[in-house]
Parts: sequence; C-alpha cells; structure tokens
Amino acid sequence: MSLLEVSNLHTHFISHDLNNNLRIAKGLNGVTFEVDKGEVVGIVGETGAGKSLTAMSIMGLLQPPARVVEGSVRFDGNEILGLPAEELNKIRGTELTMIVQSPLTSLDPLSRVGKQLVRAQREHRNISKDEAWAAGVETMTTVGIPDPERRMSAWPHELSGGMAQRVLIALALINGPRMIIADEPTTGLDVTVQAQILDLLQGLVRDRDMGAMIITHDLGVVAHYCTRICVMFAGSIIETGPVRRVFNDPRHPYTQALISSTPKRIAEKGYGQIGGPPPNLYALPAGCHYRDRCSRAAEVCHTSPLLQEIGAAHHARCHFATESSSESATVQHG
Amino acid sequence: MTDIAVTSPADPGFTWSGRILGITRRSPTFAIGFLIVALFAFVAVFANVISPFGAIETFSSKVLLPPGREFWFGSDGNGMDVFSRVMHGARFAFGIAVPSAIIMLVIGVPLGLIAGYKGGMIDEVVLRTMDVIRSFPSIVLALAVVAATGQSLVNVVLVIGFLDAPIFTRLVRSEVLALRSSGFVDSAVAAGNPTWRILFVHLLPNAIRGSTAMIAVRMAWAVRISATLAFIGVGIQAPTPEWGAMIRQGAEFIISGEWWVALFPGLALVGIVLGFNLLGDGLQDLLDPRRKATGK
Amino acid sequence: MVEPILRVHDLVKHFPGSQPGETIHAVNGVSFDLKPGETVGLVGESGSGKSTIGRCVLRLYKPTAGRIEFGGRDITTIKERQMRPLRKEIQIVFQDPYSALNPRMKVGNLIGELVKLHTDLDAAARRETVTALAARVHLNADLLTRFPNELSGGQLQRVCIARALATNPKVIVLDEPTSSLDLSVRAGILELLGELQRETGVSMLFISHDLETVELVSHRILVLYLGSVVEDGPSKAVFANPSHPYSQALLSADLPPDPDVVLDRKILEGEVPGPVNLPPGCPFAPRCPLVRPDCNAAKPGPSVIGEDHHAACVRVADGTNDIRNADANAEGDIHKKFQDQFIGRTS
Repeated sequence: MSLLEVSNLHTHFISHDLNNNLRIAKGLNGVTFEVDKGEVVGIVGETGAGKSLTAMSIMGLLQPPARVVEGSVRFDGNEILGLPAEELNKIRGTELTMIVQSPLTSLDPLSRVGKQLVRAQREHRNISKDEAWAAGVETMTTVGIPDPERRMSAWPHELSGGMAQRVLIALALINGPRMIIADEPTTGLDVTVQAQILDLLQGLVRDRDMGAMIITHDLGVVAHYCTRICVMFAGSIIETGPVRRVFNDPRHPYTQALISSTPKRIAEKGYGQIGGPPPNLYALPAGCHYRDRCSRAAEVCHTSPLLQEIGAAHHARCHFATESSSESATVQHG
Repeated sequence: MTDIAVTSPADPGFTWSGRILGITRRSPTFAIGFLIVALFAFVAVFANVISPFGAIETFSSKVLLPPGREFWFGSDGNGMDVFSRVMHGARFAFGIAVPSAIIMLVIGVPLGLIAGYKGGMIDEVVLRTMDVIRSFPSIVLALAVVAATGQSLVNVVLVIGFLDAPIFTRLVRSEVLALRSSGFVDSAVAAGNPTWRILFVHLLPNAIRGSTAMIAVRMAWAVRISATLAFIGVGIQAPTPEWGAMIRQGAEFIISGEWWVALFPGLALVGIVLGFNLLGDGLQDLLDPRRKATGK
Repeated sequence: MVEPILRVHDLVKHFPGSQPGETIHAVNGVSFDLKPGETVGLVGESGSGKSTIGRCVLRLYKPTAGRIEFGGRDITTIKERQMRPLRKEIQIVFQDPYSALNPRMKVGNLIGELVKLHTDLDAAARRETVTALAARVHLNADLLTRFPNELSGGQLQRVCIARALATNPKVIVLDEPTSSLDLSVRAGILELLGELQRETGVSMLFISHDLETVELVSHRILVLYLGSVVEDGPSKAVFANPSHPYSQALLSADLPPDPDVVLDRKILEGEVPGPVNLPPGCPFAPRCPLVRPDCNAAKPGPSVIGEDHHAACVRVADGTNDIRNADANAEGDIHKKFQDQFIGRTS
C-alpha cells in the first residue's frame, strides 16, 4: 500500500454558457498514480494538461464549476475524496500538505510570520502558544532561514521571494506531514535560489521519509530531483516511470517531443516535432487525445490506447509504446 | 484552476431563447433589471399610443377623483389623468437619463484616459479638478447652477452630466493604470502608434468595460436628482408631466387625503431607479464572471 | 569590419524608489554592440536590468545617462514623435503573449496594425501582407479573424512575432519570448526565430534568464548582475569557460534536463539584493565566495579572458577566479553574509 493512491480520477468543469448550453470541460480523464514514502514524483505537462487540477482535486480545494465526478484518492489507505471539510481538515494541513505557487501572495499579508506558524499548529493540535512558537523557530531553522527568532516577527512583505518560499515550506512542514504536494515550488524564483529550495525539499523528503509530488514544467527539476516522472497530457497520465528510464527511453510520442524540445537536445539533434495548440477539453477527440499532434498517428489511434507496460514500473499510454523508441525517434528527427 | 486554458471551444449554437435563459441563469439580477427598464422604455416610446388621455388633457369637472374605472390612478388637482401623466413621465425620465449619461461619458472618459495614460502633472490637475467638482454636495450645486442658468430641461441634463463626469474619469483612469502594466500598451507604443490611437483604439475599448455597469447606476441617479430638483421647484415645472414635479404637486393633497396624486409618480420613480440599479449590478456580474461562480 | 546596427554605450537607467529619495539603480553602465544578422543574449536573474536595457533600446524608457545609437543615429534623448518613424526599424517581442496583445482587436488587425502605421498600402494590399506574414510565422490563416483569447500561448507568440516582422525591422528585441510558453511550444518559437534571422538577416537582442535557451540562440552573450555586465563574450566561449564567479555560479545552478548529467554545483548563498543600495565595488562582492578586500574598493573593469571575451573580476589577473577553489577563507563570514542578504530589506 502506497502513501498516496490516486486512481481513475475524473474532474470536470461543468457550467452553462451565456446561451444556456451545458458545457463540460474534461479537465482530468482518469488519472492514476501512486506516491510512496521516500519518493519524489514529478508531474510534468503543458498548460491545461491538468497538473494543478490533479493537486487541487487531491487536496479537496476545487471550486465550482470544477468537480470530481469519478475516482478515488486514498491517503494512507483511507479514502479522502468527498470527505466533509471537518474530516478532511484533520488530514489536510497536517499529514498531507501543499506548497502553492507564488509564495508572496500565499502568505497572510496581515499577520507576522511567527503568528502564522503558531496559528497553523493550534488549528490542528492542542498546544500552548509558547510550545507552538518554539516549534515554529525550530522549523524555520530546518528550512534554512537564518536568524529564525527575528524572522518570526517579520511581515510577509518584508521577505524576499526565496525567503517567502522557505516560510511557506516551513508552514507546510510545521505539523509534521507525511506527504507534501508542491505546485511549481520554484517558478518565479531565480536559478540560484531555485537550487537552494529544491535541495531543501529533497533533503526533507529523505530525512523524514516523506512522500512528495512536485508539479513542474521544468524537465531539469524532474531530471535531478525526482525519482519518478508522470507525464500528463489532456488530463491523463500518458507516460510514467523511473526518471532515468523515461528520459533515456521515452515511449509516448508526446514525451519524446517534450524531451527532444529542450535546448540541449535541439543543439545536438536539431529541431524536432513542433508542439501544437492544446486539445479542446470541451470536445476531446475519441481515441488517443494526442492523435492530432502526433507524427505517428495511425488508424488504430482512433481507439483509446491502454496503459502499456514497457519495463519495470515504466508505462506509456500509446499503441506503439512497446516498439523500440529509436525507430520513432528517427520518425521525429528525420 | 489556472491550469485550465480552454481555447476556441466548438460553439454549440446560439438561439435567442437559449441566450435569454443563459443570461438569466448567470445573473437573475440583470434579467429583472433589464425587464423593468425595458418596460419603462416601452411605455416611454408608446406613451402617446397607450395612455388613455393626453398628459395635460384637463377634465375640469373631474378634479381629484380617486383611482377608479375612468382614471386608473385617479385625477390630480387640475383634473388631469394621473395614469396618463405617469406614463408620459417615463419620457422625461429617459430624456434626462440618456443624454446626461452621454454627457458624463463624453466629458469623463477622455479625461480619464488622458490622466491615466499621461500621469504626472496632467493626472494631478485632472484629478484635483474632479475632486473639487465632487466635493460639492451635488444637489446644492445642481440647484445653484439650474437656478442661475435658467430652468430648462437642457440645463438640468447638462448639470447632471457635468456633475457625474468625475465618476467616469476616476473609473476609466484606474482601469487605464491597471492596463498600463499589462503589456499591450507598451506593445502599442513600440509599434509606433500615435498617442490618440493608443488612447482611443487600444485603451478605450478595454477601459470602458468597468464603466458600463456604472452607466446604469448613474442613470438611476440622474432620474432621481432631476426628480428631486423638480420636487423642490427648480428645473422642470408643472404642468410638465415629470415625476418629481408631479410629486411636488401631489404633496399638497396628501394631508387632505388625496394620496394618489403623489403616490403613483413616486412608485414609478422607485421602479425605474430600482430597474437601473439592478441592471447595473447585473451587468457587473455578467462582465466579471469571476465575481460569481457560474454553475450551480 | 561591419558597422554595428545598434550601439549601446555606458547605459545607465535609474528609477525613483518606493521611498522618497530612494533610487533604484536598474542599469549601471552597460555597453555593447549589435551587428547586423547577429544575436546577442542578455542573461541574468531578476534585478539584473536585462529587461530595462531592452526597453531603453526601444526608447520605451528614457535612459538616465549613456548613449544609444541606432544605425549611426543617437536616439538616447530624442522625442517620441521623432522616435515613432524609427519604430518600424526596431521591434520587440514581449515575454507574455497573453497580455502583449490588445484583447479587443482581431488577430489580423493586430498584425496589420504596423503595416497600417508605417506604410501607405491600401486595405486590400494590407490584407495580403497580413496573410503573407501569417504564413511566414506558420500561423493558420483562419486564425486571423479570431480574437486573442481564442488562441493558445504559442499561437499568440507567433502573432507577436508576425507583428514584429511586419515592417522588416533591422533589430528585434526579444524579451524572454519563450519563458511563459510550454516546453514543447518553445522549441517551435526558437526554430521560427532562427529561420527568420537566416532569411532576413535581422539582428536580435535576446533577453532571457534561461541559460540553455540563450546558449542555443545567441552568437554573443552578456551576463548581467545588478545592472552591470560581469562577463561578455562569444556564447561558446562563455559557456565553455565561464570566468566571472557569478557566471560560474549561474551556470552551475542550471539543471540540464538530463538525469545522466552529474551536477557539479556551487550553490550561492542568499539572493540577489534589491538594486537600491549598490555595493561600492563589484556588485557581486557581497555574495561572492571568492571575495577579497579589493573587491569592495572599486568596480572592476573588464579583464581579457580570450578573443572578445571579458570578465569584470579582479581575480582574473592572477587566475584565482574559479569558484570551485573557494576555500574556507570565507567560511566564517558566511552566516553573517547570508543574514545581510536577507535582512537587508527589513533593517
């Protein structure tokens, strides 16, 4: 049993447009993955692929018109999907936490950092203010904030971007979570600061034997900080496997295109397949959703491909996944 | 939820009934407001045709009759039909609301565009001038100006338009300030657009959105203040079938028990002001869907 | 020797700060030339002044000091009215295509706007030009009647590029043109830019924080830190032999999207300080693992590393500029330095 088990998650945006037509955008179409203790799973994909939506669905943070219509999310073996808010809050923010994008807007601008750390603990546990304060200082130290006692009384606007992100991580860690979901934790931070934050996250997962899920669009982050990768496209995971395996032997044409479009690979092999517009989630094509952009598309792609096993823990949702990738690579770059 | 960027959804079709239902579902407020205003507009346009009597047609033998079969809303002190007069009053309501709204926009919007775009001294001067105009109690200022310049409908409209222009200046200016930081203004400058094109081709269509809801709200205000002016005897005079003037006329009779002379124009006034305000609120919901979740 | 089309000399740009009397030193004496058909990359983190330089070059900002020459003409202080006809020669593509296009104008009119402003073509001829431009940036012609919100990010960026190309400019400033796009779309945009440069010989000023992208597209690069050039040279030379400690740190912090690459990293402490109070000497001194007393004395001038390759570091002279050799000499100070970085804003 894994720490987090997401299976067959379907999230739709259901609304009526100005012409009173019912519109359904299929944001997630059967997302299945697991995150184990001590593991960092990287979720990559383009805008609209459903990366953040997956995180929001797991955390129960969806706002109408978004709604989970099917599927299951098990945390530590217990179903948490559809739990009432009070029940969910016993897990959310304590055992299962999330670090969101844009740290500066995610902190309460009207409370000092220390107060936010104390409040985050006292919401979940019966603990004195002094104890909570001490725990706050300790966590601030853990996340590498210098002079934590003084930082505790800082206002969020006094923090730099990297420091705010550390405070946010401290907030996520304060109740000793077992699983952390980080949505673009370093987007908007400078490269030199990004390295500091990622090192910190990786260290925490290792030391505390937590599970982590990092949502990112940066393949470099996945390559060096994740153990497993899930590639999303149009609300489905189209390829998953150990990072090294997937990078060296990608089987889904989208993964292949993604990896071949990094500057380094372009410099080596020239420009490959050009990405197209994202699929229309209101009218997803039957069969493979990548069909319209795929250089290998064939008649068989009008039927939905199943997740095919390629090797140990390496799966791809493509009819041609079991064929050797060198072949498809020539198709692409030739 | 930012993760979902849906492009060019296949349009599942447009029908008038669908559009009406769709809008009503998204903003019932808008639908109700629109209905009320449309009703008054209909009455205003067809007042001649649908009212049983003329607006100043007098029946000297039938003074101050209570509401009944002949005079639905009763008759006033001159023996005129209150119902017909209320209907004709709608013409004055729109006759004041629409032109004064146009004046507000014509004065207010360009000033807001220039102040927001140019900034600096120009901005300061425009803003302070607007502050001065707004800092007068508008009713007092309107009273003074109308009293000084002569009591005509045109003057009332001009004064109301002028007094409310600063509201649109401020609204448009703040929109422009927000738009300046979004890239397309820079990109318009870099393209070599002259200033007038930046203001009126690029900024105006984007900055006016927030003002559309306000237009309806200020129209309500225009109707109310013109009625107020007429009520205190400035501006439009009896026997013109203007609601404010009619309420003033009817006020004398309330003590003696003839309530209908003042009540019905009063109700009409409440109705149209409510209609405009609902319309304004509803427009805001429709134009800024983030304010409201759409699906229930 | 080819005359540069764009010459930037000792450019300085200050902004008033949020507090009265405070000055933001965004650009502090940057010089470079851009030759016809060349791509110069400006690399740096936030606060490096790279975007400000781009905007000064386009005269969207008025430089505080220095000189900008375009085609031999000094445009540093000319009025917008005089600048306007020049705008057809020097164009820009912004970072965020979603906000860079007027949402109330149709794509065809957006592309046609520049043709309308800078040529005398009639409506029919303009339409033809627009269709041709759309084809050149590989944009489907049926998108021309759509509004920007109906297009994807990649398509919108193609619209922006078509706009920039519409008047056959001599220089295009590309301000992070791919950073807000999805990875698979980025490659297509980069490919298009390369293709257009080969066809038209347009010069490009490519501004980015993404080292790998800059390396891919640029002939020469300038590494910027706090509004100063710390290293400049041919792209290949700078990436093969980064000589300024900051360039080394920046390159070592990069994460190549390949799990088999072994990272040899020297992670810097702290963050880029705000450009309000600049250090008296080398702007990088407070964060530099190799700092020594004379770094704070005066801003170091460029030292020659190789052909056309310079680094503004005092250690270049005696060859002690490799940060991997940074020893314990600074260790004792690290905690204090770290604090200064972060606490600078509160105290």
